[in-house]
Amino acid sequence: MRHALRTLTLSAVSTLLLAGAAAADPETKVALVPGGPHPYFSAWEQAGKDAVKDFGLGAADYRVPQKWELSQQSQLLESLLSQGYNSFLIFPGDAVGTTPVVQEIVENGGQALALAGCLKDPTPALFCMGTDVANSAYLGTKELIKAMGGKGRIAHFTGFLVDPNTQLRIDAVQKAADETNGAVKVVQVIADIDAPQPAEEKINAYLAAHAADVDGIVTTAWVPAVTAANSLRKIGDKRIKMVGIDHDEVVLKAIKDGFVNGTMLQNPYGQGYVGSYVLDKLRSGCTIKDSAPWAKNALTAKFVDSGTVFVDAGQVDTYVDAMRGITKTLKESFDKDFLACK
Amino acid sequence: MNDSKLTRAFDNDWIGPALVSLVAIAAISALQPSFLSSFNILVLLSAIAVNMLIALGQLVIIAVGQMNLALGSIGGLVAISFAAMMEIWHLPPLVAMGGGLAIGVIAGMASGFVIARTGISAFIITLAGLQIFKGINLGITEAQPFYGVPQSVKDFGNVALAGPIPWLVLPMVAAAVFMWVLFNRLRIGRYILAIGGNRNAAELSGINLDTTVIWAHALSGLLAAGAGMMLVARLQIGHPAIGEDWLISSFAAPVIGGAILSGGHVSVVGTFFGVVIIAIITQALVLFAIDPFVVQIVLGALILWAVGINRLREMRVARAKA
Repeated sequence: MRHALRTLTLSAVSTLLLAGAAAADPETKVALVPGGPHPYFSAWEQAGKDAVKDFGLGAADYRVPQKWELSQQSQLLESLLSQGYNSFLIFPGDAVGTTPVVQEIVENGGQALALAGCLKDPTPALFCMGTDVANSAYLGTKELIKAMGGKGRIAHFTGFLVDPNTQLRIDAVQKAADETNGAVKVVQVIADIDAPQPAEEKINAYLAAHAADVDGIVTTAWVPAVTAANSLRKIGDKRIKMVGIDHDEVVLKAIKDGFVNGTMLQNPYGQGYVGSYVLDKLRSGCTIKDSAPWAKNALTAKFVDSGTVFVDAGQVDTYVDAMRGITKTLKESFDKDFLACK
Repeated sequence: MNDSKLTRAFDNDWIGPALVSLVAIAAISALQPSFLSSFNILVLLSAIAVNMLIALGQLVIIAVGQMNLALGSIGGLVAISFAAMMEIWHLPPLVAMGGGLAIGVIAGMASGFVIARTGISAFIITLAGLQIFKGINLGITEAQPFYGVPQSVKDFGNVALAGPIPWLVLPMVAAAVFMWVLFNRLRIGRYILAIGGNRNAAELSGINLDTTVIWAHALSGLLAAGAGMMLVARLQIGHPAIGEDWLISSFAAPVIGGAILSGGHVSVVGTFFGVVIIAIITQALVLFAIDPFVVQIVLGALILWAVGINRLREMRVARAKA
């Protein structure tokens, strides 16, 4: 029941996106496999269902490893391969460690994309599609600095240290601060708080001691964003500006109530929806153009940004429109710039 | 205080951790005066309250000479069940709390029953339990939090009872007093310690091993349930990741407090100070802006230091008695 609204909204996104879908291969069986359970990925489930409905795929099923452990994810992928899945959208449990199982998939006639996180080159994955995390952190920090009036002290709360993206986010926040020529300083980075209890303990401890010493908070992971939004509400502090990440209800409500200035939306729905579409196209005879305009990041030379957008109080009620916009643009860019179909 | 009184005082398991706690509090507040601010004390006590129940949940299993790897997954399952009962079925918080406690007890009893009746190691059974309870959690939540937590529950987790003392301290005090009475005054507590100390001797003296082990695990499940629901109140959401990071601290606090991992000897007061030390260390690492990439090293080293201080005390006491 509690997923009904989300399902309805995401279905509306897909209906509006569906225009001129070409014939699909009903034998395409897509598995969408995150690194472990996390609310960020839940939009992949609806994206898969919508892709089946809209593009006529045989299946596009969301399968979650029970824990964030590379071995569990690899075993799940092998099991899905043996069950007849032939197209995989994978959040790599490890940028290098996931490569052998992807190689196994390819050697057995399957195909795979790295989704929401990349594999390190050289990789048997076709390409990587995800948020340009560094750009998202950079843009979010720029928005924060703007809200702070161009000067002040920032605390940065972020996620798993073992995630290679975390260092990219830390560097990007620092880069945005450095561009102010000393007017803005990153005074604290609290990491490894992607679980609710340590996040709550550390963020509250920090604010208890240093609330008066910071002017802004930027969060670049889901759980710290939720916790920091709750903490600012708890202490009733609207002086401290905050830019969060993702679309958790707690963060969106805090934006409406003025405790958070905005959030950097990512596009997990679009990743799953367009990723399923592209894999089916490639199974149906399309190829990737030599001239495909790949972006690069620290891990791969074949990266596609799935999009990010800043949403503030003025747009928080219509954030689905923003998601729809970036998903539509993403699908169109694949049709126009990446795929060559006869 | 004469020498014999001093020696007797140092006999207590909790003296070492208590001294470490006091030194740490004094040192941190000297360097960072805001450490003793009213809000920070409230934050610290809230963390201590929840972590104390987690530690007590493991303590009772350590006492019987076993370990409970499923403690966090039971707490997590109860947390999301508690939130789900209020959000989906609109049950009043007290009724949902009763349901949550019942789930914790049943989950613990089930583990205890299988351990007692099959004779398979508690390590294996609770490892399996960890997977099963976590699997149920994910099946219910699909990794999505429950947000519909009533305001009264949120207030319980975030409002002060008096001054900087949070409401969450009440269940902690109740649980700690109960556990102290259990181990020091009640027969079942003595049985638990007797089995942990020497299983064969306990059996020969007529103690029902199976029943006692089942009781211990049921109690552990009850305490995990309490901690899970306190976290729902504190975090204001029923998050599916609740309980995932309990394992290390659930062992660390009792061990710092003088518990022997092979069973038969535990200290409720020592465990309390173990929890205090871990909470203070965690806060200090944040307050002093330790590089996030070395936090784990520093945390591990400081816990080792705290355990070392207590071990040193034990050796000195042993030498004095010799």
